[in-house]
Amino acid sequence: MLTVENLRNYGANVTEGLQRCMNNEQLYLTLVNRFLDQNTFPDLKAAILAHDLEKAFHIAHSLKGVIGNLSLSPLYDVIYQMTELLRNRTETDYSNYIQRYELSYSMLAALR
Amino acid sequence: MNKNKRKILIVEDEFVNREILKNILIDDFEIFEAEDGETALEILDSKKSDLSLILLDLFLPKMSGLEVLNSIQANPELNNIPVIVLTSDKELEVQCLQYGASDFISKPYPDSSIIKARINRVVELFEDRQTIKSTERDALTRLYTKEYFYKYVADEDRHNPNANMDAIAIGIRSFHVIKERFGTSFSDSLLVRFSKRLKKLMPNISGMVCHLEADTFIVYAQHFDNYENFLEEMSANIFVEKENKTPIKVQMGIYQNVDKSIDIDVRFERAKTALNKIRDSVVKNYLIFDDKLKEKELFEEELIEAFPTAISEKQFVVFYQPKFNIQGDTPKLVSAEALVRWKHPQKGLISPGIFIPLFEEKGLIQQLDLYVWKEAASQIRKWQEKYHKHVPVSVNVSRIDLFDPTLVETLLDIVKENGLETKDLLLEITESACTDNVDVIIDKTNALRQAGFKIEIDDFGTGYSSLSMINKLPLDALKIDMIFIRNAFTSENDNKMIKIIIDIASYLKVPTIAEGVESKEQVTVLKELGCDIVQGYYFSKPVPNEEFVAFLTAEK
Repeated sequence: MLTVENLRNYGANVTEGLQRCMNNEQLYLTLVNRFLDQNTFPDLKAAILAHDLEKAFHIAHSLKGVIGNLSLSPLYDVIYQMTELLRNRTETDYSNYIQRYELSYSMLAALR
Repeated sequence: MNKNKRKILIVEDEFVNREILKNILIDDFEIFEAEDGETALEILDSKKSDLSLILLDLFLPKMSGLEVLNSIQANPELNNIPVIVLTSDKELEVQCLQYGASDFISKPYPDSSIIKARINRVVELFEDRQTIKSTERDALTRLYTKEYFYKYVADEDRHNPNANMDAIAIGIRSFHVIKERFGTSFSDSLLVRFSKRLKKLMPNISGMVCHLEADTFIVYAQHFDNYENFLEEMSANIFVEKENKTPIKVQMGIYQNVDKSIDIDVRFERAKTALNKIRDSVVKNYLIFDDKLKEKELFEEELIEAFPTAISEKQFVVFYQPKFNIQGDTPKLVSAEALVRWKHPQKGLISPGIFIPLFEEKGLIQQLDLYVWKEAASQIRKWQEKYHKHVPVSVNVSRIDLFDPTLVETLLDIVKENGLETKDLLLEITESACTDNVDVIIDKTNALRQAGFKIEIDDFGTGYSSLSMINKLPLDALKIDMIFIRNAFTSENDNKMIKIIIDIASYLKVPTIAEGVESKEQVTVLKELGCDIVQGYYFSKPVPNEEFVAFLTAEK
């Protein structure tokens, strides 16, 4: 089960995330669950593979906003870097980023 | 509870972000949500200025946040609602402020207390600005209020010192009748329609317009002289009743090519003087302020300046006109009416017909009324002491007096100071004083009667009060206006009018008092019709105290 404690162990900046939720732990956990449920990363990955960097940027940008607000730091670092590359529509090998994201994501999902 | 909360619209496509904001704001705001720009615009269209704030995410599906911001700014009904942009892009922040956003909140969101503080600050600033705006505009018509209008007139003069300008006062003919017949909500909507028309016409005459009061508007415009045409444009397709049959008639007073060295309010006073001269006339629809009116204006100014001295030097003299009960075998003196005259040291005797309307307009009538009350009360006392006669005197109570919270106290003090009883002082209130703020008038009259005063309704039949209003108004006598007496003996119709008033009085179980009675014939007919009390030249014109004494001593 997802708890504040295991999110902290995972590396999330729980203090900051909770502050945004006015220290409502229940809300914070619900929102992290919600983020996991509506995983849009596969869409981002597909857009990158299809070289639709415009679309990829939009998805990454939105993801960054949500992940940032939930202070899921391990995911935030990688999505932040991806978003900046995609902002300039940088044609590069994203596979390293994708792997890192997917790894961090599965670690988070495993907490449930 | 929700009713009192300010409304806020959150435009954000991400559920998680929306939930975080909602959680922060839910206690203080009523929240509306939109997941995309189109939905946001739909909500904005239905809520409009009900909303206190919009929180707008820039990255939205379908329509971008900047596009939404642009549509908001382009819509005059929406562009005064403050917008806070939610963004993680530093470079867009400046652009958003340029596009009209009030502030921005970065992503990831800062601490919830910071979000709260920023939102409250923007909402407060917006409301302060609204307060300023709302005093600039008249609440009903959304036209400029007088203070702001005068300021803009001064600006105009500063920018175009050599332009020939006209000050124009505009009124709707017989507006008070329209209001009485069709009610306030109808007459208000008429004013709103008329205001919109005026606003639309302003560019044609390079002018600006202000709603002064009731149906009076003032315009400052570059000089023009095709007045007939302008009058037509103002009234076209605006009707006085719901059936759209009778078009409104508009009247204008114009002070042409204003002298810019004179005060702005004086310029519009001149336009108003011209308008007032033709108010409700069926033949004239505009009048230009000229030398004759200027003379009148100067004369009135002199009277106003002389007023304080006139009071302190007792230039105002109270005359008394006796009232006789005619229902018995011989007429019997029952009371008198106090009527004020002005013995001006240079100008001689000035008619109350000139100075009373003037003092009413200039807010001096209360002082004059008080003066007359005191004079009359001290006179009644003297008659009682010297002649042992108890003749009550009726004095005029102006409409403005009725709104004075100390009225009852003031009158009671006067009665007490002169050792009188409240029944010695009769209070005359004109019917036309009772048309607006009926509840206040009724409350005040009730209070006066509870204190023991008797209320006579003056000029009955000439005002526009409805029967239901008269039924609610506590009163002790109806005075039939002299115009009905005068006409009664030339046309059958107005004899009927007297009968109707007497019928109303008997229904209300109060006596009638006929004014302006001049002949034996009139007295006889009035007696037959059932009128109780008569006042007029047939018995006596208003006379100074020394002459009135004769009536006191003649009574047994």
